[in-house]
Amino acid sequence: MLKMESITKIYRTGMVETRALRDFSLEVEEGEFVTITGPSGSGKTTFLNVSGLLDSFEQGHYWLDGMDVSRLSDREMSRVRNEKIGFIFQSFNLIPDLDVFDNVDVPLRYRGLKARERKERIEKAVGMVGLSSRLRHLPSQLSGGQQQRVAIARVLAGDPKLILADEPTGNLDSGMAREIMDILEQVNEAGTTIIMVTHNPEHAARAHRQLHIADGRMVDLERIAPFPLNRTEAVTRQVAG
Amino acid sequence: MEFGPIFRSLLRNRARVVLIVAEVALTLAIVANCMSLILDTRAQLARESGFDDEHMALIRSTPFAEGLDKQEVLDQLVDSDLETLRAMPGVKAASNTTLEPWEAGGSISAIRLPGTRDEPMESQFYAADPSTFDSLGIPIIQGRGFTREEFEHGASATPTETLPVVISKSLADAAFPDGKAVGRELASSDESQRYLVVGLIDHFYKPLGAAEDRVMLTPGRTASFDYGSTYLVRTEGDPGALLPRMEKALLAKEKGRFLRLRTVVEVRDEYHRRDRLLVGTLNGVMALLVLVTALGIVGLTSFSVTERRRQIGTRRALGASKAAIVRQFLLENWMVTSLGVVLGAALAYALNFGLVTWVAGAKLSVLVVAVGAAGLWLIGVASALGPALRGAQVPPALATRNV
Amino acid sequence: MLTYNLRLAWKSIRRHPVLSTLIIAGIALGVGVSTTFITAYHVLASDPVPGKSGSLYYVRTNSWGAVDNPFREGPPPLLSYRDAREILKNGVPVRRTASFASRMTVFPPSQKSQERPTREGVRLTTSDFFAMFNAPFQYGGPWNREADAKPEAVAVISAALNHRLFGGQDSVGRTFRLDDRDFKVAGVLAPWRPRVRAYDLVVDPLAEPEAVFIPLEWVGPMEIRVSGSQYNWRSPEPGEEKLPFLDRLVLQESLFFQLWVELPDEARVKAFQSWLDAYVAEQKKLGRFPHRPDNRVTPLLALMDELRVVPPQTKALAAISLLFLVVAALNLIGLFLGKFLARASTVGVRRALGASRWTIFVQHLVECELMGLAGGTLGVLLALGGLAILNRVYGDGPDGVPFFQLDVPMIGGAVLLSLVAGAIAGLYPAWRICAIPPARHLKNQ
Repeated sequence: MLKMESITKIYRTGMVETRALRDFSLEVEEGEFVTITGPSGSGKTTFLNVSGLLDSFEQGHYWLDGMDVSRLSDREMSRVRNEKIGFIFQSFNLIPDLDVFDNVDVPLRYRGLKARERKERIEKAVGMVGLSSRLRHLPSQLSGGQQQRVAIARVLAGDPKLILADEPTGNLDSGMAREIMDILEQVNEAGTTIIMVTHNPEHAARAHRQLHIADGRMVDLERIAPFPLNRTEAVTRQVAG
Repeated sequence: MEFGPIFRSLLRNRARVVLIVAEVALTLAIVANCMSLILDTRAQLARESGFDDEHMALIRSTPFAEGLDKQEVLDQLVDSDLETLRAMPGVKAASNTTLEPWEAGGSISAIRLPGTRDEPMESQFYAADPSTFDSLGIPIIQGRGFTREEFEHGASATPTETLPVVISKSLADAAFPDGKAVGRELASSDESQRYLVVGLIDHFYKPLGAAEDRVMLTPGRTASFDYGSTYLVRTEGDPGALLPRMEKALLAKEKGRFLRLRTVVEVRDEYHRRDRLLVGTLNGVMALLVLVTALGIVGLTSFSVTERRRQIGTRRALGASKAAIVRQFLLENWMVTSLGVVLGAALAYALNFGLVTWVAGAKLSVLVVAVGAAGLWLIGVASALGPALRGAQVPPALATRNV
Repeated sequence: MLTYNLRLAWKSIRRHPVLSTLIIAGIALGVGVSTTFITAYHVLASDPVPGKSGSLYYVRTNSWGAVDNPFREGPPPLLSYRDAREILKNGVPVRRTASFASRMTVFPPSQKSQERPTREGVRLTTSDFFAMFNAPFQYGGPWNREADAKPEAVAVISAALNHRLFGGQDSVGRTFRLDDRDFKVAGVLAPWRPRVRAYDLVVDPLAEPEAVFIPLEWVGPMEIRVSGSQYNWRSPEPGEEKLPFLDRLVLQESLFFQLWVELPDEARVKAFQSWLDAYVAEQKKLGRFPHRPDNRVTPLLALMDELRVVPPQTKALAAISLLFLVVAALNLIGLFLGKFLARASTVGVRRALGASRWTIFVQHLVECELMGLAGGTLGVLLALGGLAILNRVYGDGPDGVPFFQLDVPMIGGAVLLSLVAGAIAGLYPAWRICAIPPARHLKNQ
């Protein structure tokens, strides 16, 4: 699904260069649920930005879904983001002026879908996160957990191959956080690859694989449990069905 | 002492600096040129005729009835009309003349000193009667006015006779630089007609061609069927109040004619109408422009304050007083505005050059640019004051707070 | 996508009412001021005889007989009766007309005779006049060429005068008295208020057309005097005043006639010019035209330029008002910049969700242009107000139509100006916002 080879990302501010990623390599299989931990400033967010094509990098290669995305134009990158990647943020990042329906609508608009298809997708996605009754609510009228569910619906409506989640539970209390994790697990079980940055060891532990970034490098590449049994079953069922 | 850091901070905010500089510069260029046009026009508006404009009325009488087309009848009508007008309470003087102050038309002729072959001089020409000077409210400053005999004879004078004339001082100065005009002769440019200067009037102004302050008055009654006759009346008080009564009295004498009665002030206002409109318009455009620019500076400065709230908080936490914050923003704005003013002065001259070359207008004076620059300077800095004061209200605690 | 962008723009405008009002007001002021003055200029400077001005030429020649020649920049702008009459006989132009203005007394038709007569502007001209200057007829038409020559007592009257004399009915064939003679109505003009009177560029180009038009040759029999400019160089000789009026007119050589010819092609222009040169050369032999020959056949639009028919202040104001719009738009750059950068995080989200830089750029530019158009609409209303003020000075036409009016091209121009203002104000902020790296504002809000 995702393959990075020797990626180096440098930030320049004035005279100072910061190497946010150094010789960074990683491979994630389709259908995997990977969590990434690491101290603040270690390069987690940079990794997510680079893998989400929100940021460019200086050296190395990056393949996404079998396609070399190392050197794309802005327009091509935007298209890949729109069609293949879904983002979930710590601060939800819903657009405050838009109601639930319109927020979920945003990526579909950029994909240029017909009104009818958009409507179907939106209603289905919002239904999946259990907010069908809130379609016309504004983000400010929703709780944090609900907002994050809308953000997930926004991802689901786009039907991406890869979800990048940046501390999706960081702003939520433990009950709501668990709800969100449950939804993410369901989505993953349906076949979508998820890479999640988290500080929460309990949530990290729910993944197939836990990675650790420190100082811009992948420290621990060891697979903790390569596809635990119960999950392998789930994936095969999905593939078979 | 604070220039250095502020200057470097400005360099990092190039967009904002460029915008304010461009706004101030363009505004100054436009304002200076508007001011120049206004001053030019106001100078025109301020010119005085030299007559008692506020107490004069013009009456034009144009006959249409049959029987009024005989010269003797028309002449008699003029005399009886003047008697009627003079007999009215509130009327100081009334005369029959073709000199209509502030009226757009008039007549110009070329004259010269007899026997010379230089370029002739141009002068306005009007007919007058003995009371014309009294009606205009002006004295004869040298020599004398016209006598009754000269007036009666004027209309039937043959071209071979020398006509007595009263001329304006500026014409006298041009024709007789030695200052002794009275008793000397002038002639029409082809010398078919001779004039003897019998008197001088001090000041005359009627915008018409190149001869706006030169006039030559000849004695004679003017009454014709086609052009009618004009009466100039001077009153004690406001002539406007007397016009309806004058009209009634004149129509009672002879109703086979058209009468048009106006105060000279009305005529003057009519003459100035377009210039007044121009001044008003330019003032309006200038006011709006300055307002818009001030708003723009307020907007940009507020934006820069908002952007730097954290920075301000940090400065405050590090011990900067509120006054120091205000000073910083004002100083910053002052530097930017100054740059705009300097560029604007150059731009003002460029715009003026363009206007003078391709359109119209007078050359820009240094004073106008200086006044405009000073004004914009004040406005620029004053516009920054509000946002700067608001910036100073940022609490020092903001520095430690995570957003 | 456009509708989506428009919806987003509308939401954004509504979300910041004060800021939006300021921006729209700024554009409205700029567009209002510039539309007002550009309209004023456009009305005065546009072609006064559309479709015909290219073939209309004004004829001048220097017949000044005095030794001193006060006309330094070219020939006198007006012709003498003598020359006008000769030039009118030339057959090269397909149409030709000479005219001058007078004021005469109009008496109402007999059944209304208790009314006082009125003093009206009268133009003495020839039958070709009406076709040459596109004078529109309501009833009847011009008199014919026989009426010119004889002359016949026929007249064309304005709609306003027809209303006053005949209650606005078709009065063709009816009579009214002009000074001491009865005239028969040949035609009634439709309400006619050319902003520039092309036929009278020299004397009073911005005035209303006259109320009455009669054949030029009445000047002699009715002893009609000019009202307006005239130039005289000759002092009458003793005894001359006893001659008949027409003889005096010929002798006197007063200049007060304006003469126009219609020359549809270059060949005719050349032919006419050489005929005119030959005519003047011949007159020189007779002792007239003492000064260097200066015979001019000037196209209408060139003459308008030369005589500065459009007051130069109007041009200056139009130029200044355009600059005003630029300053107003520049001012809005700052406001838009603040507004857009304040929502950088939202833009980051949109970028993450697949909006390209271009998409974001377009979205924001649409917002600027929407506000530009809103400002432009208000600006057109302001311009109507501004023109109403100008009209207080320039006045209404006989038909109550104001002197300055917004026409379709000017409204189109105002819309274009508001789009340009929106673009000036919006391009840079839209570029700035779309150039922000998408990742920057996603992490913390």
